[in-house]
Amino acid sequence: MVLCAGMSEIGTLERVLWGLSFSLNLALVLLLLYRRSYRSYPCFLLYALLNLSQAVVLFASLQRWSFGSAAVFKIAWGTQGMIILARAASVAEVCRHVLGKYRGIWGLGWRVSVAVAALVLTYSWAVGVRSWLLFVVTADRSIELAIAVAILALLLFAHYYQVVIEPAARFLLLGFFLFSCFQVLNDTILERWLRQYTSLFNLLGTLTFLASLLLWGWALRLDQRKAKSQPQLLSEDHYRLLSPAINARLKALDVQLGHFWRAEGRKT
Amino acid sequence: MSPAFYFFLAILALLSALFVWSLRSPKGQTDPAPSSAIPQDVQGSHVTHLPQIRRALAPVDVEFASKRIPREALRRMQRERRNVALTYLSALRAEFQTLLHTARMVAAFSPEVAGGQELERLVLTLNFLWRYRVIRIGVWAGFTPLPQISDLSDLLSGYSVRLEEAIRELGERAAMVAEMVSSPDRRRIDPI
Repeated sequence: MVLCAGMSEIGTLERVLWGLSFSLNLALVLLLLYRRSYRSYPCFLLYALLNLSQAVVLFASLQRWSFGSAAVFKIAWGTQGMIILARAASVAEVCRHVLGKYRGIWGLGWRVSVAVAALVLTYSWAVGVRSWLLFVVTADRSIELAIAVAILALLLFAHYYQVVIEPAARFLLLGFFLFSCFQVLNDTILERWLRQYTSLFNLLGTLTFLASLLLWGWALRLDQRKAKSQPQLLSEDHYRLLSPAINARLKALDVQLGHFWRAEGRKT
Repeated sequence: MSPAFYFFLAILALLSALFVWSLRSPKGQTDPAPSSAIPQDVQGSHVTHLPQIRRALAPVDVEFASKRIPREALRRMQRERRNVALTYLSALRAEFQTLLHTARMVAAFSPEVAGGQELERLVLTLNFLWRYRVIRIGVWAGFTPLPQISDLSDLLSGYSVRLEEAIRELGERAAMVAEMVSSPDRRRIDPI
């Protein structure tokens, strides 16, 4: 939704898509309020509201300034910074919703996800183009990639511990992941063909946002169907006694398998 | 095109593939229950069949048979021996998966989880599964000689005993807590 031109300079298709995404965003906010989903996802409500506000601010800016003006550029990317932070908070919130009831693995999971995301953020920043002109594009891409990796790390964690993700959270995460991945792709292409790609960047960005809005709307429609249940946790003794014993036995099985391995080695 | 461009495209492709894989639910998976975390039968190990497997894989048998039976029969015998080895490998993997499932359930339902224990298990799992695949292909194709597998049975039995002891200790503690709760003097309730 950023980098838009003055309203008169924007093509009809873009204007229609922009209007559609604004309407869907408004519907999403209303759905969050009507279904009282904001109790479970307050950061997500904040994110949706910030998106709406950005659209209003950009629309007002484009009435006054022209496409490509420094003022519009600053407003667009400045508001985008807040929106990315709100999205990161929303992602953390949904991940907590999925794994939070399993206190032990959530404690480990969020630390691993944050560490991996921080590594990815640093690395993608380091390999990005070092130019002040592309500073915002590189920063945007790095943060989006970190968000995508954090979502993936949490999902892999849930998969590893066989935690079932309810459909609503699944669609929310799918929306966030697709949006972040597409933004990374879009930023990477924009970085390469800056001027020539700007209008297509806007169009594809809006289309991705529309797709994500539909997924989030679908997710919120499902949210109320499933009753929340808190699992009964075991005592700390269970983990302290069983986990090392199981690991030792797994190691023994691994050693047993190693006999076949060594037999193969002897032959070769 | 800069290498960074291809790097980001490759990363995105990898992330998308992993994302699809992580969202896929195993067939019939339901929310795990704490009761599934406690192993019920720690003695049900493939180790109990080791004497028979050992006999089936003994090299002296082949030497003995090669002098007395026709080549076709010998070939069939070796094929059957290979099937025994493959079955044994499958049993090892099944036992590994059962233990792994138990360990994951225990971790999922624990209020505290140690990163070191989880990492150790992850490394063991990756190591086991990778070697399992390579060895299985090797045995199936006839590249891998059939090994002597008897001498680790004692070691495995030892680990079974350790796990049994842990489960027994948990049972004793639970019984102690139950007894204290039912006793008139409830001030003494302190399971730890």
